[in-house]
Amino acid sequence: MSRLDTPEIDQSRQWQRLDPRMLLVHPVRELIRFLPAVVGVFLAGTASGNYVWHLVGVGVPIGLGLLRYVTTSFRITAGRIELRRGLLERHVLSTPVDRVRTVDLTASPIHRALGLATVRIGTGASSANEEDRLDLDGLPLDRARELRRELLRVAPPSSADAAPEPPERVVVVLDPTWVRFAPLTSTGLVIAAGTLGVASQAMNTFGGWERLDAGGLVHGAARLSWWTLAPALLVGLLVLVTLLSIGGYVVANWGFVLSHANGAWHLRRGLLTTRETSLDDERMAGVSLCEPLALRLAGGGRVSAIVTGLDRRQQGSALLVPPAPRPVLLRVARDVLGISGPVDAPLVGHGPRARRRRFTRALAPVAAAVLATSLLVLLADLPAWLLVVAAVGIPVALVLAADRAQGLGHALVDGHLVARSGSLNRHRHALATEDVIGWTFRSTWFQRRAALTSLAATTAGGQQAVTLLDVPEPAAVRLAAAAVPGLVDQFTA
Amino acid sequence: MPSLREPGQRVSPRARLMWLVGGLAEGGALLVAAVLTGWVWHWFDLPWWVVAALAVVVAGYVAVVPTWRYRVHRWEVTDSAVYTQTGWWTRERRVAPMSRIQTVDYAEGPVSRLFGLATVTVTTASAAGALEIVGLDRGRARALVDELTLKADTDPGDAT
Repeated sequence: MSRLDTPEIDQSRQWQRLDPRMLLVHPVRELIRFLPAVVGVFLAGTASGNYVWHLVGVGVPIGLGLLRYVTTSFRITAGRIELRRGLLERHVLSTPVDRVRTVDLTASPIHRALGLATVRIGTGASSANEEDRLDLDGLPLDRARELRRELLRVAPPSSADAAPEPPERVVVVLDPTWVRFAPLTSTGLVIAAGTLGVASQAMNTFGGWERLDAGGLVHGAARLSWWTLAPALLVGLLVLVTLLSIGGYVVANWGFVLSHANGAWHLRRGLLTTRETSLDDERMAGVSLCEPLALRLAGGGRVSAIVTGLDRRQQGSALLVPPAPRPVLLRVARDVLGISGPVDAPLVGHGPRARRRRFTRALAPVAAAVLATSLLVLLADLPAWLLVVAAVGIPVALVLAADRAQGLGHALVDGHLVARSGSLNRHRHALATEDVIGWTFRSTWFQRRAALTSLAATTAGGQQAVTLLDVPEPAAVRLAAAAVPGLVDQFTA
Repeated sequence: MPSLREPGQRVSPRARLMWLVGGLAEGGALLVAAVLTGWVWHWFDLPWWVVAALAVVVAGYVAVVPTWRYRVHRWEVTDSAVYTQTGWWTRERRVAPMSRIQTVDYAEGPVSRLFGLATVTVTTASAAGALEIVGLDRGRARALVDELTLKADTDPGDAT
């Protein structure tokens, strides 16, 4: 029988409310959500001199928050977990406990101050609708952790009960010096762009642009020469982006700990909002080692897990190591897989035809650009230095193509399919062959002429497929047949 | 074993007509839109040779692609797997084991209904792994759905 029949959980067979401390959280949250409306009502109330509006403006969100608490309840009964919510439109979400694949605990700063956490139960159903999420928003931290343990332990009841509980084994802890990798990621740029967008929006709304003394700025700048202004702006931008990316890294990954206990991997991280993710051992289908060019040049990268039942949007919660030095990545990847072969084994290259394809594909667009520019320079009297700009693309394309060709490789080791590709964004995926749930052989007319094919092993996690780019066709068929015996063999000629 | 062979079964020959009508409808809509915006409403300056080139491309597509597609589109179902081949310029061969099949979907689009054809889609737990057989004869498609549902049912496991 399942663990849920033990008396300690029995109390949860009744419908129960979330933690009463949520009575403090919900109203604050609703107030923030309705903030623009509240401000509007306040302004209107002050203008009309009728202060009842102030009460209404504050009272309605607070009332909604209280109602949210009163109308939400959950229970665990007969192997199902059910969540009931809504005032006008009642929702009952219900899922079998043995379908639970991930349990996330998140705690925003408000939650943390009150000692609460939100339990997000992932069942692998790919629903984009926020209403359909099974979130228990607001349980005491201890209760949340206990619930997570119960939910994840239901699947394999026998072995876990028999053996004495092994202590938590910590695999990796964030080293503050890893922050040096933060500026090499794209997060800084993303945050900078986002901040600029919000700032300009705000300026627009409050008419800041008109008040900004644009004339004065231009006048002041005009006295500086272009040669001093451009580098100064560039350096300023670089410093800003660097600071933002370091800030983003610290906020997201502070206190990062990856550990293994009770048949699941546990991730903890976050400076302000803390986040705890648990990934069931049985759902770990493999790992991906990602080394974007900038990180790779600095000897770094990151590792994420391929988890069945987690779709693309939830990839963030499967990050096993944030940007860190390469030796750490390799150690964690070996540890998570339990074997070293898929991480360290040399890969089989894809041969000269795949190599040539890398070069044609990189050079063709650059060549087209150079050709178009020369035509424009000749016929339309464009300045000749444009041609130099276009020609710079050629060596860049050559270097990229060489790196991409050199990176291509695959292997089948220790029951894992390993594929490596990419230059700007190099990946080495290792996927357990028992989690391969289909094969796709894709080839364009050009690929067929070169007897190459792109073989994709589809899976229920990560990017949903691991692709081996431009493998010689016989090798692809042999590989697919060896990885999953008895499947592709019957269709070979 | 040097290479994969093609799947055994072809789709219905009427699929060519379906693709032809579909291509004509899409190409015709494109041409009409170009002529309306360029020549009737004068939103922008549309030279006659652009329209001519567009017409030639549409004609070429309609003349060549349906037959090409028909030659490529094939499928096969064994006791343990489904195997499909689709595409024309880009050819895609997909193999899914019977034990991993999650849903079998039968659909008739507006054009395919005109020709008594249907599409059978077989999905697995991977978002990248759906197998689609387009242009099956309606009766054949129904029988295939029944066959697949039966076979997939006998395999235990939760198919992930």
